[in-house]
Amino acid sequence: MATTSTAGHASIGLEKTTTTAAVAGPLGALPGELKYVQYEHSLESAYLPAIRALISKDLSEPYSIYVYRYFLYQWGHLCFMALHPEDSSLVGVIICKLEPHASHSPPTLRGYIAMLAVSAAYRGHGVATALVKKAIDAMAQRNADEIVLETEETNVPAMRLYERLGFLRSKKLHRYYLNGNSAYRLVLLLKRIDPDAAADFALDDGDITPR
Amino acid sequence: MMAQGEFGVSNDPEINNPNRFSEQPPPPPMVASEGIIATDITSKFTAATGALKPGELVKDAFFTLFEAVGALEIMDPKMDSGCLAPGESLDEDYDVTRPLQPAQVVGIIDQLLCLEMAWHLGYPLSQTLLTNVYIEAMLMPAPTNLREADFIRNHAEGARPDPMFTVLRAYCLGLLKSCWYVTERIKREHYYEEEDFVTNTYHRSLLDNIDRNEISNEIMAARKIIHQMRHALTDKMAWALDFRLGLRTAFLRTIELSELRSNPDSLSLPWHHMQGVWEQIHNSRQLGTPVPEAFSPKIQRKLASTMPPRPIVQLSFEETSDHFRKLIKDGIEVHEVFKYSDPQSLLNFVLTFQAQKPQPLVYIRTLLQFYLFRDMVILDNLSIRKIIDDDLAIVSMPKHRLLDPVNDVVEAPHDARFAMAHQMELFRQRATQSYLDIFRAFCQNRCRVRRTLCHSIQDWETVQMDAEELDQLLQIQLDEKPINFETGSEGVSSPEAAYSLPLSSWAYLYKLRLMEWIVQLGFELETYQPIEMAGMYWYLAYLAKIRTSHLGRIRSFITHRSNELEPKSSTTRARPSPSGPSFSSSGSPSSSNGGRSDTTASFSSEPQFVRSFAYHRVSTLEAAVTWELADGLSALYTALYRLRLIVPPPRPYSSDSLRYDIRMKPFAPIGLPELPSFETFTEQVTRPRKSIGNLLEIAREAIAGAKMGFEALSKYNENEAFAVGCLGRWTEGAKNGIKSAIAAGLAVAAVKNGIAAAAATAPDEEEEDLDLGNFLQVEVPKPEKAYHKWWIVPKVHVGEKKKT
Ligand SMILES: CC(C)(COP(=O)(O)OP(=O)(O)OC[C@H]1O[C@@H](n2cnc3c(N)ncnc32)[C@H](O)[C@@H]1OP(=O)(O)O)[C@@H](O)C(=O)NCCC(=O)NCCS
Repeated sequence: MATTSTAGHASIGLEKTTTTAAVAGPLGALPGELKYVQYEHSLESAYLPAIRALISKDLSEPYSIYVYRYFLYQWGHLCFMALHPEDSSLVGVIICKLEPHASHSPPTLRGYIAMLAVSAAYRGHGVATALVKKAIDAMAQRNADEIVLETEETNVPAMRLYERLGFLRSKKLHRYYLNGNSAYRLVLLLKRIDPDAAADFALDDGDITPR
Repeated sequence: MMAQGEFGVSNDPEINNPNRFSEQPPPPPMVASEGIIATDITSKFTAATGALKPGELVKDAFFTLFEAVGALEIMDPKMDSGCLAPGESLDEDYDVTRPLQPAQVVGIIDQLLCLEMAWHLGYPLSQTLLTNVYIEAMLMPAPTNLREADFIRNHAEGARPDPMFTVLRAYCLGLLKSCWYVTERIKREHYYEEEDFVTNTYHRSLLDNIDRNEISNEIMAARKIIHQMRHALTDKMAWALDFRLGLRTAFLRTIELSELRSNPDSLSLPWHHMQGVWEQIHNSRQLGTPVPEAFSPKIQRKLASTMPPRPIVQLSFEETSDHFRKLIKDGIEVHEVFKYSDPQSLLNFVLTFQAQKPQPLVYIRTLLQFYLFRDMVILDNLSIRKIIDDDLAIVSMPKHRLLDPVNDVVEAPHDARFAMAHQMELFRQRATQSYLDIFRAFCQNRCRVRRTLCHSIQDWETVQMDAEELDQLLQIQLDEKPINFETGSEGVSSPEAAYSLPLSSWAYLYKLRLMEWIVQLGFELETYQPIEMAGMYWYLAYLAKIRTSHLGRIRSFITHRSNELEPKSSTTRARPSPSGPSFSSSGSPSSSNGGRSDTTASFSSEPQFVRSFAYHRVSTLEAAVTWELADGLSALYTALYRLRLIVPPPRPYSSDSLRYDIRMKPFAPIGLPELPSFETFTEQVTRPRKSIGNLLEIAREAIAGAKMGFEALSKYNENEAFAVGCLGRWTEGAKNGIKSAIAAGLAVAAVKNGIAAAAATAPDEEEEDLDLGNFLQVEVPKPEKAYHKWWIVPKVHVGEKKKT
């Protein structure tokens, strides 16, 4: 049965970074350079509704507001938004967390990509790829050992995106989602794991999220 | 993306009370309990929350993501099950006393069949059967006896109920009762809640307190009424109703029989009956008139659940029919397990039964577990000890002194046999659980099988080590003399005095099989990307090669003992090959005898030896064939990679070696066989010193060898194959192996042709530099498109690339 990871105490360092990245998609339909912005608490009223709306669009069931706040309040620095250059409206978002993973001895510092979405009109231009890269960079900078996520077995675009960056499917999770679909766990190892700790590492079954 | 939560935070029915937010806040409840003084904190709480900024999270360290996902948002219609749209009513307006036409009863029943199947597939009752108004009315309030178990509770005294109600009620009774049994069966065996099945009944009792016989009688009575009315109903309609009730009778009967320790042959009779009945139901489906308004997702609001109503799961009747046919077919076949002959056949039974696509439903899988393990007596009359001893006798210890039952009755502590009995008992205690866990593991869903095996191999590693200690103690008791035994399968063989180590050899063999299964299930579950194929097939070949030679080692010792026991005939016996097939210079097993070495099976007259040699014959061949085809595919995939027909993605955030660490994580803790270093692995997979021509030749040869091996396997009878009770499925596996090998051979030939064609246009280029993109396209098929889900053979299309 699915188990949960225990919440650790992640240091909350809200540093502001705003960068821009050139996105020249093959379709050339992007409105110039999107702004990539790191989330912070002061942006909640301006962006949380849009974040929720964007993510919920592809979900049969919505997450409650607590789920968003759970992530954003503790790991806002691991959340990045892609914004429209003109009106700063939300085009894409990635939400993550980073915690010691308890069932490992010694525990690994495990990053987890919880949510990723790009507004349908802007897909296929590398926006998600850019967001994932920012999140990986931020987690690597904070010493993450590995980054994991789950994606629906049918979500070919997401799997291609992650595998192109270096993620591997480590296992398949039977009927993981409420709609009856199975998932793959994808893993990106950032550092070598101490071979002596490998025993437990191999046994890790703790699914990150409840079902 | 995370999964959304689905779990009861509270089963408090008050949560579902739609009136809980009235205009005026309700007065604080009167708490009257000894030692408790109630204080109204409403105003304090309001003041405290006023000091928080929106979005500020107040939580303790134990508030995890799990809780966060479980939280509900009040007044969000998608989360709050009590939240009604303006003007929406909580209750259904459907009147269960409204008259029903026979065609409508058929229609309702057929919809119930679809929902029942969705439930078997893993969807909760709340989205399936409990969306039906008749069932809801029958179950709420909870009936305490048969009479109350009716959707119309207050029939006028003495009035004869409408026959259509009688029929529908009888159907629902039979349906709910069988659902109760199914749930109980599943709950008692190993399964994964929500993943395989949802056992939650949301505080509805599925008639657990109503006797099965009473329900059967109600169904009988209803069928009698149909019979009496058949002229009024028309024969067709009467039959349509009768078959549907007949299905319920038969299903209840299968359950009843499964619990009895009756003659196994009779167990499958009601399943056979269901098979016929199902076709009649299928054929009469057009007679039904759907009554969609008798089903409503709103009913979920009355269930003890915090989940907001979710849509009804709608399978089509055709899908339902396919699933029922499969359920029934599996229900018949699962009973073949009682035709027990030997533990290896039993294992093959479970392996091949579970490897079917689609896999049998969870109910059947738990039924198999039940039959296998009930009261820890395998299949009713075999003791676990007998199974283990039988298995040891087949694999490594035919007619072995350690397995002599006489040892158990020796009472003199200084007698060697006393010690043997004791040590063997220790061994059994150590190994039994791990051994039975293999059977259990394969009864799980395929994803779980792989995950479970990743754990099991570490367990088997310690079983093997513990067994080796016992082996060493026992070889003293047995006064065993080491024999010269050729070790090393890498070409150089040096004779070395060795002991037989029969117990740890047995354990090691299982560990190797588990490791191979993990890799093979990785292919089946599409865990590997195309670029990983060469490496994973190489590793599979590596494991199978080790198993082949390990089997050879075991066999040498068995042969040695057999010679000792029957010295007279030893001169007529052909010398068995002491180790398995050895690597030829090309690194492929195909040029050796590929394990199809003679065994002495036909030369020993002792039945236990005959049987053990037969086992070694089939297992060695099976291991060698796995080794060969895996080796051939690995070489082919490496050639495709070097020809840039399979191109790796850029993967800027990882390295080959880090990915190797993740991929091989389950195997890293295993000491024997040790996981090859990343450098060795890379060298062996990429074979830098082989030209592409060499690689394709290696592949061709290995694949041809595998094909011959599969052909031989496909002709084995059930005793030769150790597939008693499952030969059909076993042979199908071998035949799909042949097809895979043929397809692989064609792929190799196509690549060769493509190279030749490309070379003709660019005679000066090295093979590696040829641009084959214009001549060949490669597609790595999904497992379900392959002939065998463990053999992912690339499809090589010859011809100009289609410009898209
Ligand atoms: C999955 C999802 C996030 C992808 O978003 P996206 O912005 O279209 O993704 P990208 O543009 O980075 O990659 C998609 C494709 O565009 C291509 N692309 C186009 N221009 C690109 C550029 N400049 N840089 C990188 N890739 C580019 C990529 O190569 C990729 O091609 P592929 O289809 O061959 O793999 C998006 O489809 C989505 O929001 N889906 C719904 C929610 C979801 O499924 N989330 C993921 C759950 S874990």
